[in-house]
Amino acid sequence: MLAPRFLRPESSDEAVELLRSFEGAAKVVAGSTAMTIMLRQGLIEPDALIYVGGLPGLREIHEEDSRLRVGALCTHREVELSAEVRAVLPILAYTFGTVANVRVRNAATVGGVVAEADYASDPPAVLLGLGADVITTSPSGERRRPLLSFYRSFYETELDFDELIVAIDVPIPPSGTYAVYEKYVSRASEDRPCVGVFASAQFYGGLFHNVRIAIGAASETPQHVPAIDRAGDESDLRASVIGEIAEAYAEQTDTLDDMRGSSWYRKEMIRVWVRRALERVREDAYASPSPSRSSSIPDEMPRRDQ
Amino acid sequence: MESGGREASTWREGRSGMIDSYERVTGRVPFATNVEVQGMLHAVLLRSQIAHGRITRIDVSRAKEVPGVHTILTGADIVVRGAFKARFGPVFRDQPILAIDKVRFVGEPVVAVAAEDRDIAVTALALIDVEYEELPAVFTPEEAMANGAPILHEERPELGATFADILINRSGDPNTCNTFKVRRGDIESGFAQSDHIFEDVFTSPSVQHVPLETHCCIASVERSRIVITTGTQIPYMVRGQIAEIFGLPASAVQVIAPPLGGAYGSKCYPSIEPIAAALSYFSGRPVRLQNARDEEFVTITKHGVKIYMKTGVRSDGRILARKVLALFNTGAYADIGPRLIKNGGYGTNGPVSIPHVWIDSHAVYTNVTPAGAFRGYGISQAAWAYDSQIDMIAHRLEMDPYELRMKNLLVDGEPFCTGELMHDVHFRELLTTARDRIGWDWSAAPERVGQKVRAKGMSCIIKSTVTPSTSTASVKLNDDGSLHILTSSIELGQGVHTLLVNLASDQLQIPVGRISVARVDTDVTPYDQQTSSSRSSWSMGHALTAAISDVKEQLLSRAAELSDEEASQLEIRNGHVSVIGAPEQGLSYQEVVRRTRAGNIVGRGFSQTQGGLDPESGQGVASVHWHQAAGAAEVEVDLETGHVKVVKYHAGVYAGRVVNQVHGELQTEGNLAMGLGQALWEELLYDNGQLQNGSLADYMIASFDDMPDEVDLNILESGRPDAELHGIGETSLPAVMPAIANAVFRATGVRITDLPLTAEKVLRGLKALEAEGGAKNGDLTTPDGASTDGQKHVVGSVT
Repeated sequence: MLAPRFLRPESSDEAVELLRSFEGAAKVVAGSTAMTIMLRQGLIEPDALIYVGGLPGLREIHEEDSRLRVGALCTHREVELSAEVRAVLPILAYTFGTVANVRVRNAATVGGVVAEADYASDPPAVLLGLGADVITTSPSGERRRPLLSFYRSFYETELDFDELIVAIDVPIPPSGTYAVYEKYVSRASEDRPCVGVFASAQFYGGLFHNVRIAIGAASETPQHVPAIDRAGDESDLRASVIGEIAEAYAEQTDTLDDMRGSSWYRKEMIRVWVRRALERVREDAYASPSPSRSSSIPDEMPRRDQ
Repeated sequence: MESGGREASTWREGRSGMIDSYERVTGRVPFATNVEVQGMLHAVLLRSQIAHGRITRIDVSRAKEVPGVHTILTGADIVVRGAFKARFGPVFRDQPILAIDKVRFVGEPVVAVAAEDRDIAVTALALIDVEYEELPAVFTPEEAMANGAPILHEERPELGATFADILINRSGDPNTCNTFKVRRGDIESGFAQSDHIFEDVFTSPSVQHVPLETHCCIASVERSRIVITTGTQIPYMVRGQIAEIFGLPASAVQVIAPPLGGAYGSKCYPSIEPIAAALSYFSGRPVRLQNARDEEFVTITKHGVKIYMKTGVRSDGRILARKVLALFNTGAYADIGPRLIKNGGYGTNGPVSIPHVWIDSHAVYTNVTPAGAFRGYGISQAAWAYDSQIDMIAHRLEMDPYELRMKNLLVDGEPFCTGELMHDVHFRELLTTARDRIGWDWSAAPERVGQKVRAKGMSCIIKSTVTPSTSTASVKLNDDGSLHILTSSIELGQGVHTLLVNLASDQLQIPVGRISVARVDTDVTPYDQQTSSSRSSWSMGHALTAAISDVKEQLLSRAAELSDEEASQLEIRNGHVSVIGAPEQGLSYQEVVRRTRAGNIVGRGFSQTQGGLDPESGQGVASVHWHQAAGAAEVEVDLETGHVKVVKYHAGVYAGRVVNQVHGELQTEGNLAMGLGQALWEELLYDNGQLQNGSLADYMIASFDDMPDEVDLNILESGRPDAELHGIGETSLPAVMPAIANAVFRATGVRITDLPLTAEKVLRGLKALEAEGGAKNGDLTTPDGASTDGQKHVVGSVT
């Protein structure tokens, strides 16, 4: 094993030129929480590591035109604690706050977790459920893709080898939207999720609209099926409707087997946790029928490290 | 304790925590991991990727070319050179330093590389080619004991002389490396007198110790002298094995044993030390070898065990007969398995009085990682079986499980299944306290809130401590009145050095700040048999007490030289030597040592117990005294996910006499954390001998967040000032798993007999109950678990 070259470009342009010159044999590294593990386990053997952690302009969070743009170099901890994120997308702050432990969250970046495409990470499913776009740059210019078509399979995305994620762009849900993320951990509390379920819906006129579900950690890529979610639109999310949605996700998700549960168990858990997530959305909506903007900060911020 | 302490215990002031707590929290403890030796090479190991096979070719030529590579060694190199013995092991010399001709498990060291730094060694390792001819492999004792099974060790391994008391019974099956039996009473007549007979099967998986510090050693071999610094629980065992391998007198081998960053049994017997020493021999340089975390998982494990248990009970609940077949999966090399199955064998009797007992306990070779000592030493697996079963029997007989246990628990003067009479027995007291503190009410229905249900369960266990056993200690009283303790008991983090300092402080009535513990070094510190089996407080405590008595006697005779009194007229009081009845005229220790020009006063202490069991009948003395514990758990089960949360736990343990309350509590909490992981998640998963979860991402241990919201401890003392110290390092651990499983059964009606109680297993159990229309008989087991109706197996059931 020869140690990879460690390169420090000074701009995004320089970084993507370097990526292009290595023709796929280089890896981008920032927080290096996942990269270090993969290198140490010999899962990847890049010729070069291109360190982007210090690049300017990629660590900003700002809101514009009802969208929240989160720079790729923002750490999980920054998203978790950001007053701006908490104000407009508290569910995103909550989700990033459930990842691993504070040591990891202080280093791991938003761009990193999106690009790694690890099926057992929490943020991808929630970003997918929120309808986020991935903004990248490359020598060919800037590009925007919906997350829905970004993930191919295990650790595989649509990213070209000379593409660098610069930001995640998330639409801010309309007022009256309630969102929850249920992270189900089947083993020790520090484990990654067996199943993670995002659910949101807008509540007005006594009915729910724009119901969105996303399932993480249960299959190769996070799942979001608008056709299933539509069953909840214009409904009161009564038990039978919720049950139908939960059942459809359980049936349609191609669940995987790992130490956290069998394929069978994951289907069972999707059924349970989609239902519980939607029940929470419904309860939240009935409890405070007109939140000023999206949902409030969840009551239960993660217990660890607080 | 000295009664003098009550009148003026000033020497106790300022005593708190570990004696080296400052060093611990500031990162200054000199763990083996931190040791650097001038000129040392760094070694890495190429390990087998197949479970069983013949080595047909090893090509190291490309690796040799890597600049900075110093020595590359194979098992064949060791055999061809013939410079030293190629195999080692605490019981059988069955484990090659590096694989010879064959590999027997995935992870077995095959080639060792020593280079100027670790990266170079890793680079070279990747250039080594090894070819194998794969052989059929066996992964469970049942497969290994079947007719026509591949034989792991074609030649009977040499039996070492390390343990004088180990009696080996290798009758029959070639993969069975030892069998231990208990024969007491007349088993058939016991069953004939029984009104009910219950046959159940229980399995415990192999698990890993996961010490924070992985195995690490630095070996320096010269022509007639070997120095090894290693993280070991038994430095004299390492010395003996290394001396034997190299044909040197023990005095030519120096083993330096720094404090350990955890061990839990994993560092009892040599594993990587012979490899580092062999590399140092061939390279002429000191060699450092440390396991990476994934290597720790393939170095040593806890035994996976399957226990067939048949128990005969009278209609009033009295247990009359028990027949057991225990199959211990000892892996590819015996390590301490042949000895451990003895404890795991008679251990299946449990803390109950049974007139008719028949136990067969086997250590069986298979093609997985060797299994050895693990906190609990065979008792966890035994207790999982007997305490689950007594709970199941209570349910089947519609009796209160507390009452059923109370009816059968051993009391003082009753014989154990080994024939020895019990003394200092406190099971009933422990269990009753557990019942009261958890708030046990048999008639109460489980408490249900939404999809969550809560219930309680209890357990009671018995554990031996290694017998016979020997400890020696020295102390030096210096000319300023300060004291050195020389002991080979290892500080694993359990606090033994603090305990010894506290004992010495009490006995000489000097503050702990004036007492030091010398670095453990076999050239300097005297013999101790082992730092394991929860024996150090008791065994080394006795040796130290004897050494201090020796010092006291010498102090008195020295002081007599300085006074007009006979030594018999003098006493040690309040840190001084004084005339009996005139404490105000005492001489300080400093005055006695200086004025008599003694230089220092050296005391020597010795502690030894006698015992041993006949391997055919199991009769004799298993334990000088008995370690006793009870557990009680309250769990909350999510009926839709099967997830189990332990919300409250009570641990009761008999300590005899508490030397350090805080350390006693910490040990007991540590046992709970370890038991919790083993109850709920821990399990080494193999697929055709390939470990599937050998990393801390895949293998779960408990974290602080998993601890119960409420932990209640009962560190029970006898109340007598002269009570024996009972070790508690392991005692409360085996109680945790059955207490939790029994509570889960109460909550759900799901009886799981194969650890761990994963959420999925519980959910499958719930679904099966649902399909059957409810928990009518409570005898349900998980679909992938063992059935409870006397299932037969390929080797033969216990019937």
